[in-house]
Amino acid sequence: MKSTQYSEKTLDHFRNPRNVGTLEGENVAIGRVGNPVCGDLMEMYVRVVDDRIDDIKFQTFGCGSAVATSSMTTELVMGKTLDEAMAVTRGDVADSLDGLPPVKMHCSNLAADALHDAIKNWRSGRKLTPLAAEEIAAAGVGCGAREATVIEGVDDYEDTGVYKRVDDPAALADKRVLVLDKGVASAEFALALTEFTPRVVFLTELDVLGLPEDVAGRVKRSDVKVLFQSRLLAIRGEGEVEKVLVHDIDEDSEYELFVDAVVLQEV
Amino acid sequence: MGEAVYLDYQSAKPVDPRVVEAMLPYFTEGFGNPASLHMAGDRAETALEEARAKVAAFIGAQPEEVLFTSGATESTNLALIGYATRNKRSGDHVIISEVEHISQHNIGKYLEKAGFRVSKVPPDQFGRIRAEKLRARIVDETILVSVGWASNEIGTVQPIPEIARMLEGTGVALHVDAVAAQGLLPIDMASVPVSLLTLSSNDIYGPPGVGALYVRKGVRIAPVNMGGGQERGLRSGTENLPGIVGMGVAAEIAGRELSAESARLAALRDRLIESVLSTIPDSHLNGHPVERLPNNAHFRFDGIEGESLLLSMKDEGISVSTGSACSSKTLEPSHTLISCGLLHEEAHGSLEFTFGRFSRESDVDRVMEALPGVVDRLRRLSPLYKTE
Repeated sequence: MKSTQYSEKTLDHFRNPRNVGTLEGENVAIGRVGNPVCGDLMEMYVRVVDDRIDDIKFQTFGCGSAVATSSMTTELVMGKTLDEAMAVTRGDVADSLDGLPPVKMHCSNLAADALHDAIKNWRSGRKLTPLAAEEIAAAGVGCGAREATVIEGVDDYEDTGVYKRVDDPAALADKRVLVLDKGVASAEFALALTEFTPRVVFLTELDVLGLPEDVAGRVKRSDVKVLFQSRLLAIRGEGEVEKVLVHDIDEDSEYELFVDAVVLQEV
Repeated sequence: MGEAVYLDYQSAKPVDPRVVEAMLPYFTEGFGNPASLHMAGDRAETALEEARAKVAAFIGAQPEEVLFTSGATESTNLALIGYATRNKRSGDHVIISEVEHISQHNIGKYLEKAGFRVSKVPPDQFGRIRAEKLRARIVDETILVSVGWASNEIGTVQPIPEIARMLEGTGVALHVDAVAAQGLLPIDMASVPVSLLTLSSNDIYGPPGVGALYVRKGVRIAPVNMGGGQERGLRSGTENLPGIVGMGVAAEIAGRELSAESARLAALRDRLIESVLSTIPDSHLNGHPVERLPNNAHFRFDGIEGESLLLSMKDEGISVSTGSACSSKTLEPSHTLISCGLLHEEAHGSLEFTFGRFSRESDVDRVMEALPGVVDRLRRLSPLYKTE
């Protein structure tokens, strides 16, 4: 089974993208996200009349789903108020395309971000001028968001699923627990947890277990599921932790993982 | 290779020969349109109402609370869209459990386009929707909650009586898709305050293309297809009389045989689960260890992919399912397994066995003769599975 299969709707939007182009004039705002170095660059042009999106066009450098999500985003918000357009999420865009392969969810994020950026620029009166892709590349901007070390939501779920430190693993019995790699103590904690719950995920940015040989061996033989080359981007849920957004560094893709608890195990 | 072994009863079931026999006259000499005033019409109306009474008795309902439809998908469309539309003045928020069949999530998408807000409530790692988690999702504008009685895929049974009692008297309606559970678990509308319940004929060994929707007395819905006003104006279209008669008989048989059949299937299921987990290394049971359908065993095997498993089992003459049959069309991993907390590669390695009325002990033997070798062969091809 391939995870790169696109829906008919996505292919349709890729083959026949709607609202391609640029807009000019006093009442036009431009939004821009991404970086060609990272493989994606999107520009959204929004004409605003009476607080509504009167017209919208886009230009995108990127893969099939980057094009399709841009196209779908323009369709979704055409004629909407700015508030309504701000409420459109990457999930909405993906849903409207009958879903996207998980490895492509990053791209649909960018389309909504570009739209939101345009609206923010309109509201703040910030004027962007259209730039050629090579100019942006030459400016040497890094892949900004990818480098972020702040975990979105980490402070929002204190006592409701995010634990800076847990001493008694029994407290997390029968929960799906994500343990961040903070060295030996965190690995030992993950191992201890397997006595109390069948689901323990150990998340490390490395491509090997950077642990003393005996500890690494015990982790390998245990029921701990290790996610290598992975970075925690965000913690999400309504009122309590329900899922996390994980960045697969190797494939440069993002996906959601349903968990009940995140253990940072700070020392 | 011996006789073909069919262990995919959740995808489709054969029609019970007793049901076929009861249906046959209604294709020929017993034909008629229940709306006609002549003799043939009277005969058809009598048969229709007898079938309605049988389906009602099967779920502890009153006959006038049962509407016949063309199947479970239509029933659920009528329940969700019909209820939301009719009750929009009370609110615009609908909650659907994450582990519902994909067809229900697609109805949810339709409702969103129609101006409703749809929230999904995630399950725990065993696929159970906890009542308190559901309660936390409810806001003033919530009008409808939809949770299946059991998952057709991983077999987890939901705490429907608890959820129904929690919602009783709050003004929030509860829709339950009972397709996977009917005929396997007792369902009694007299004691469980469910508002709307989806039933399917084929899932109790009746003919395909027929279903029913239970609508509790006092629960208001709007029709979703317009026409001649059959089924109290809620489901227009001349009744599929032979099919409905078949569903009635199927419900009668299913109700009568339920407890003995469930115990028989549970024994087959338990033997398969114990054999697989003890024989095949790095195999796992998906879904709830105890609160699961008596006919469902759902596994995953580290390092291999479900479709190749399915194809290899097919070569051994054994029909099984991987993930959700519907989701394999999109080649996406099962949303149900993902919402239980599995990673994509784990969800892809899943294999589902569902037993049914014509399953035998020898079917388990055949699976255990074939499966360990199949898993071993595929693991030796896999870069993901390393023995140490």
